[in-house]
Amino acid sequence: MDATLKLWVVILVVGLLNYLSRLSFIAVFARRTMPPLLARALKYVPAAMLTALIVPMIGADPAAGHTLAFNPRIVAAAIAGVVAFYTRSSLWTMGTGMAALWVLQAVS
Amino acid sequence: MRRLLASPDFRAGFVEMLPACIGLIPFGLVCGVGASAAGASWLSALGMSAIIFSGAAQILAGQMLAGGAPLAIIVLTCSVLGLRFLMYSAAMAPYLTALPPRWQKALAFLLTDQAFAAAIRRFNASDDPRAGAQHFLGAGMALYLCWQVTNMTGYFAGNVIPAAWSLEFAVPLCFLALVAPLLRDMPNIVAAGVAGIAVVVLGGLPMKLNLIAAGVVGIIVGTLADLMRERWTRR
Repeated sequence: MDATLKLWVVILVVGLLNYLSRLSFIAVFARRTMPPLLARALKYVPAAMLTALIVPMIGADPAAGHTLAFNPRIVAAAIAGVVAFYTRSSLWTMGTGMAALWVLQAVS
Repeated sequence: MRRLLASPDFRAGFVEMLPACIGLIPFGLVCGVGASAAGASWLSALGMSAIIFSGAAQILAGQMLAGGAPLAIIVLTCSVLGLRFLMYSAAMAPYLTALPPRWQKALAFLLTDQAFAAAIRRFNASDDPRAGAQHFLGAGMALYLCWQVTNMTGYFAGNVIPAAWSLEFAVPLCFLALVAPLLRDMPNIVAAGVAGIAVVVLGGLPMKLNLIAAGVVGIIVGTLADLMRERWTRR
């Protein structure tokens, strides 16, 4: 398939699915209650899915050739994680995480 | 429209979201850079940020497109990622039932991780659904505008940003800001821990299928942990 066409199909299909997920219980199923098992499972989607994205990005990915030796990204991410836990603020998390990475990269 | 823009709740929502918007600037830039690296035209890069409007899905779609993954796998992975919107939608629904349908349709479009977190705090604090909805609309619009501007800036000016800044680290930081506060609750800790281990163990799978597999395993084990906790506490 032509690359431009493929990209637009991804944009429109993923965009539509995202919108339908966002709209689902607000409008379409507004008068229905969610099946209890589904409600329970969906509670764990953010923690599971986002962690699966985070871990390879901070370099704990053996396929990317990283060793278990000192990795500034893991340390910076751990510091940012503690800040996020206590502040719940994306601004503070971003600020301390980037600053920690820059300092660790400068000294290592 | 003008009356809406003048309403104090709309303005308060807009202003309260500005610090979060500043925190999202690096993420938006990285998404724009990622679209450019995946070979997107400026119009399709704008399509990604304006229509998909989800940084995680955009980054993932860009990486998978660049890696030559088949269309079905890209859509499948992005839709599992988008399942969290179902949960947000269900959690928001009770606060929005009193609103006219066109309001609901507009607000649903602006439902993101950050807007959801802010909205739930706000709806819990007041019982006037209309004021809460205007607040949410203001917050969502601030995020939407910020997202388009930063994505386009990243697309056009991304190559000016020095590699030594490691700006791509902003992406896991944004997700960390969402995940870490959830780790106060045992099943969430289990779900995150299992998904984090599984994504490394399954790293050999092609086409980034380890992401979706690890996510699903984490969701299942987290749900089981929740069910078991309930059985134990009931005894």
